[in-house]
Amino acid sequence: MLAIYKKELKSYFNSMIGYVFIAFFLVIIGLWFFIQNLLYGLASFEYTLSAISFIFILLTPLITMRLMAEENKQKTDQLLYTAPVTATDIVLGKFLAVLTIFGLVMAITCFYPLIMSIYGEIQFSAAYASILAFWLLGAAYMAMGLFISSLTDSQVVAAVISFVTFLFTVLMDGIAGIFSSDNKTAVIVFSVILVIICILLYRMMHNLTVAIGVGIISEAVLLIAYFLNPTIFDGSVRKVFGWLSVNSRFENFSLGVFDLSAFVYYISFAVLFNFLTVQVIKKKRWS
Amino acid sequence: MVEVKNLSKRYGDHLAVDNLSFTVNKGQILGFLGPNGAGKSTTMNIITGYISATEGTVTINGVDIFDEPEEAKKMIGYLPEFPPLYPDMTVKEYLNFVADLKKVDKKAKKKMISDIMENTKITHMSDRLIKHLSKGYKQRVGLAQAIMGYPDLIILDEPTVGLDTKQIIEMRELIKDLSKNHTVILSSHIMQEVSAVCDTVMIIDKGKLILSDKPENLSARMGVTGGVRLSVKGDKKEVFAALNNVKGITKIVRHAYVNPGVVELTVYCNENDDIREDVFYALSKANTPILEMKVLRMSLEDIFLKVTSSSKADMTAEENDIEESVEKEEV
Repeated sequence: MLAIYKKELKSYFNSMIGYVFIAFFLVIIGLWFFIQNLLYGLASFEYTLSAISFIFILLTPLITMRLMAEENKQKTDQLLYTAPVTATDIVLGKFLAVLTIFGLVMAITCFYPLIMSIYGEIQFSAAYASILAFWLLGAAYMAMGLFISSLTDSQVVAAVISFVTFLFTVLMDGIAGIFSSDNKTAVIVFSVILVIICILLYRMMHNLTVAIGVGIISEAVLLIAYFLNPTIFDGSVRKVFGWLSVNSRFENFSLGVFDLSAFVYYISFAVLFNFLTVQVIKKKRWS
Repeated sequence: MVEVKNLSKRYGDHLAVDNLSFTVNKGQILGFLGPNGAGKSTTMNIITGYISATEGTVTINGVDIFDEPEEAKKMIGYLPEFPPLYPDMTVKEYLNFVADLKKVDKKAKKKMISDIMENTKITHMSDRLIKHLSKGYKQRVGLAQAIMGYPDLIILDEPTVGLDTKQIIEMRELIKDLSKNHTVILSSHIMQEVSAVCDTVMIIDKGKLILSDKPENLSARMGVTGGVRLSVKGDKKEVFAALNNVKGITKIVRHAYVNPGVVELTVYCNENDDIREDVFYALSKANTPILEMKVLRMSLEDIFLKVTSSSKADMTAEENDIEESVEKEEV
């Protein structure tokens, strides 16, 4: 794991990507910091961070797109998968490397509340908690980007899919608002999602029986639940879509509220996608 | 050392490897020989644990690659068909990374890297970026990667592809050197290479093991093809008329002209027949002097083609300079 971590970290600084990512991120944070905190004298750094959380959509794909896709393309995956390391080692090494790069950005960001304290009273605990939360928010995005990168051998495809996916997660609250909150809509929406999942399952496993079997069973469970107790579906679409909205979890921090559930959410999100990436690598062996 | 039992790999309906079994002993060089798409790379990928088998087992020193992949992979060095190199690293950085990846002991690492660079003759390239290296050097860096950690088993997929003649000879020397301390499995679709380097040759076609023997035994086992290759000065008709009188000729194939007035032929007879003297006297009687005569021997190539193609007719079709084929008329 350490070998892969070191190699990834080095490669970010051998190419321009690491520098570009760090520089661009710092420019954006610096700009917002200057305008909101210094120019308008807003005493809340957490609000500034919340305002720039959209930047993950643009910058995360930049550093995650090449992680696995490039290995697949250069056939260096053959070296990694035939070396005495586990798939978990490979994925974690890579994930921790991007996390470190982003950590450098966050480490520099830690100076901003200090600068603000020169001019007035600052609530340090809220500021630093939000920086930590911002880092974890980034971790969630990066785990997702890593997962998407492992699905393809083209960096461009990885970047575009990551971009679209991230855009969806940000717009998720808006999308959820489109659907009415009655239970019939919920069942229809979930059925459509199940069909999409089954199609994806078939694309990945090339096994029609499994895909259709999973589809029928889950659909049956859905319908039985609906007929037994329709009320549990009330407003459930918004709830489910709300789970996927990564950015909205940051809102509490922007208000200066310490939200432990968001920490747990981000960490589980990152763990889930790292786990999925490991599965993709393992599955490749069996295809 | 390596034991492969009833190995099969299925992609959908396509059977890439079909019930393959073999063993390799310590210090041996085993050569996989087969046309493109025969299943050589697939077999190697399974042995190294890169992909899984549909059926069958692979054990290395008694360790199963499916059950204990980490343990088994420690004993294998693999150079795939495309050397797995990072273009943005220098040779030294790359080998350093590989050493870390293969968990080489920190103290031994530095010496091992410099020894391996010495052996593969890339020391003077150690600070170059890999993307600036020529194909031959890339191949050597790939080989250096496979040797890293001195694993018991070294697997090389088409190690000499893309190298020039001098590099090929150097690469063969290197592989022979390696076999002193390691067991080597290599694949190739070039016959001379396998016969020059390997102790045992396995001919694979369509995923099946067709033949497995020592290279020197293969020729004896398959017999010699009868026939001679001729360059004869004279008129085409006269030459054919003269040859028609020679007993034992089964087939005459005429090749494209090189020089005007010279007929280029391949004359076939039954295996183990010697028609050289008869041909000589027949042609000298007809006053059409032989400029060149060469006996056809069954090379590994012919054996290979013979076992991988269903009919013997394909053998002659392989010669790409055939202009027309003339069946011998009845005497």
